[in-house]
Amino acid sequence: MASLLQSERVLYLVRGEKELRAPLPQLYFCRYCSELRSLECVSHEVDSHYCPSCLENMPSAEAKLKKNRCANCFDCPCCMHTLSTRATSIPAPLPDDPAKTTMKKAYYLACGFCRWTSRDVGMADKSVASGGWQEPENPHTQRINKLVEYYQQLAQKEKIERDRKKLVRRRNYVPLAFSDKYGLGTRLQRQRPGAPISALAGLSVKEGEDQKEIKIEPADAVEEVEPLPEDYYTRPINLTEVTTLRQRLLQPDFQPICASQLYPRHKHLLIKRSLRCRKCEHNLSKPEFNPTSIKFKIQLVAVNYIPEVRIMSIPNLRYMKESQVLLTLTNPVENVTHVTLLECEEGDPDNINSTAKVAVPPKELILAGKDAAAEYDELAEPQDFQDDPDIIAFRKANKVGVFIKVTPQKEEGEVTVSFKMKHEFKNLTAPIRPNEESDHTSEVIWLTHHVELSLGPVLP
Amino acid sequence: MPLYEGLGSGGEKTAVVIDLGQAFTKCGFAGETGPRCIIPSEIKKPDVSKPVKVVQYNINTEELYSYLKEFIHMLYFRHLLVNPRDRRVVIIESVLCPSHFRDTLTRVLFKHFEVPSVLFAPSHLMSLLTLGINSAMVLDCGYAESLVLPIYEGIPILSCWGSLPLGGKAIHKELELQLLEQCTVDTGLAKGQSLPSVMGSVPEDIVEDIKVRTCFVSDLQRGLKIQAAKFNIDGSAERPSPPPDVDYPLDGEKILHVVGPIRDSVVEILFEQDNEETSVATLILDSLVQCPIDTRKQLAENLVVIGGTAMLPGFLHRLMAEIRHLVEKPKYKEALATKTFRIHTPPAKSNCVAWLGGAIFGALQDILGSRSVSKEYYSQTGRIPDWCCLNNPPLEMMFDVGKAPPPLMKRAFSTEK
Repeated sequence: MASLLQSERVLYLVRGEKELRAPLPQLYFCRYCSELRSLECVSHEVDSHYCPSCLENMPSAEAKLKKNRCANCFDCPCCMHTLSTRATSIPAPLPDDPAKTTMKKAYYLACGFCRWTSRDVGMADKSVASGGWQEPENPHTQRINKLVEYYQQLAQKEKIERDRKKLVRRRNYVPLAFSDKYGLGTRLQRQRPGAPISALAGLSVKEGEDQKEIKIEPADAVEEVEPLPEDYYTRPINLTEVTTLRQRLLQPDFQPICASQLYPRHKHLLIKRSLRCRKCEHNLSKPEFNPTSIKFKIQLVAVNYIPEVRIMSIPNLRYMKESQVLLTLTNPVENVTHVTLLECEEGDPDNINSTAKVAVPPKELILAGKDAAAEYDELAEPQDFQDDPDIIAFRKANKVGVFIKVTPQKEEGEVTVSFKMKHEFKNLTAPIRPNEESDHTSEVIWLTHHVELSLGPVLP
Repeated sequence: MPLYEGLGSGGEKTAVVIDLGQAFTKCGFAGETGPRCIIPSEIKKPDVSKPVKVVQYNINTEELYSYLKEFIHMLYFRHLLVNPRDRRVVIIESVLCPSHFRDTLTRVLFKHFEVPSVLFAPSHLMSLLTLGINSAMVLDCGYAESLVLPIYEGIPILSCWGSLPLGGKAIHKELELQLLEQCTVDTGLAKGQSLPSVMGSVPEDIVEDIKVRTCFVSDLQRGLKIQAAKFNIDGSAERPSPPPDVDYPLDGEKILHVVGPIRDSVVEILFEQDNEETSVATLILDSLVQCPIDTRKQLAENLVVIGGTAMLPGFLHRLMAEIRHLVEKPKYKEALATKTFRIHTPPAKSNCVAWLGGAIFGALQDILGSRSVSKEYYSQTGRIPDWCCLNNPPLEMMFDVGKAPPPLMKRAFSTEK
């Protein structure tokens, strides 16, 4: 339905770090700064993690531990679909009496899309429905952990030395010019000829400094690399047994070549994002914790605060002929709003795209408040606004139809007009400074937005 | 909550390590044994059907900024699932990365994502951290190029770098050419149609998949015979018997018949010495010849090969054989006294080794902060230090005011940062 509204024809200007023009439904409104914000000029944050298949929320500490993977759900290593657990009954010997057999349930994983099963890679059927399957461990984990420990020790040494140098510096009275002569202080001098140059900034052990060092064996280089087996050149390949690059890269630790080594992995989690205004650090959008809920705790979207301009009908636009375009203005708030449309001045720096002259109604327009119960209340008296029929085409609840006159200035191409929309905004947030004179907590400010409409091509 | 954190010394959160390659990006957290994800360095734009490559060096700053912003946004919120503001970033880069790209990347990270600090780590140096050694000759066979850089006692010997545009991209081009020339397609309607009549060009991801699944590198003897048959002048050289054909399904209806000879001949471009007599193997030897004499033995006995292209079956064996074969040639025989060559096996797959080195370094929380460019430094100076730019104020000036200007060795430091 959004394509029916063609919201991308009406663009609002957002003044952020970069000027951006976007339709109002895609923008946010920071009511503390009283400015429009787009997705580019807000900071995104991770709010909560959840699994896309079982829709279970995961606290962030657990997500970190599980490496952002769900504990229960698996992905098919062939086609990335979600695996389902299937049960079969297998005869198994009773523990007390080996002669008799009884039916026991055995579970295996299967993919509904590509028919892959856990039996294809040789994973034994498990007796519990969930929690039985483990992911294989990386064989190099121990070596890597040892390396990290070793380098951490060296890093600690460097840090201690650096801190020590900061304190020692005060005692170095010999000015720099003489330090070369007397051979003190600088790193260059301290190196004896023949000793290895230590320049991975101390990331090499200095002799005999510390007794209890963690030593590691540096890796051994080998002379010979294993060649390809003899039959490699003549063996025909079965492409279904060779993994594709994409399947390999899903398992970065192993990257198996044969499909028989392709073990399933736990499903990767998704996140819910919250948005924050960069200037005032207030939240603009904060979703609910529950993954199944589509509501928001905080939802400062622009359509709830700024009157929306929509194009209702466009007549045939011809070069240098004035025609009337019908727009609708919708009031999102519950109180009466006054809107004034203003033409862009000469030399306005924002007015770069317009290819037509526009004449907007000079008077201030009054928009009725949004009344949720209005459609049910048939006996309500229509409010009398005394509209000028030349300017206002119709009025319905919180919507009003307005004529503007457009004169295309170019013979060919798209007709784009722009104007400024000024409206009042009641700021309902608590004031920053306590207001002694006024006892009501809301203040009215006037906001001006630059709006651009694209009205289609000029007809010949 | 803090009880379960179990983090390093200061309770600081683990850093994010990103290796932005031209074909694939490896990203994950410091201190882990492998990246969380390896994804193509591409973004999908809604109006363009083909994905757009993110790592491009020739586009203007605005476009590059928006591509990088979108890509890194996807990395953080789809794969890493953390807040960018909380964690330091380690970026693994190639020493040949243009300054313009680095500057734009830094601007995206600091201005848009507001990360606390960024460290640019050279990939060759980081791969040494996975082995626990200080000196090695490191060859990175990636997508766009193969780059060799010797490292002695922790200092990259920058003057002895070498690079050739022989990588995944070159193989893809050659493979596509061969496929269009020689292969036929069975469509649902007709059999044995030539490939150009069915599709004008083969999409690169299909070419990549064919390369990964069917191609391999032959050993030295066989490879030399294949090359001789290709550059056949007298017509006497005969090609060794080709491996069997493969039927590659293109989609539901079409089947592409990949003829056998393509499978082993395409990769030979890495080892063919063209007019300049350069190949991936000569890169190592040329670099070795340029290195100081005292370092050569140690470097030759510590070869490290990283990068995705090095994962082709049979590549390492062939590389070692080629090196040993070329050392006997007159060009190198006089120059190199050392004849023993040894190669390391890092504790990770070749395409993740540089990432793993960055992850090990990123786990050193004691010094990661002092070696990174912090947000304050960037907002004050507006640029990041670069090894090729001599008028940068050294990082340590920000921390120790009044310290004497550093001696000549300082330049060695800035290559590691």
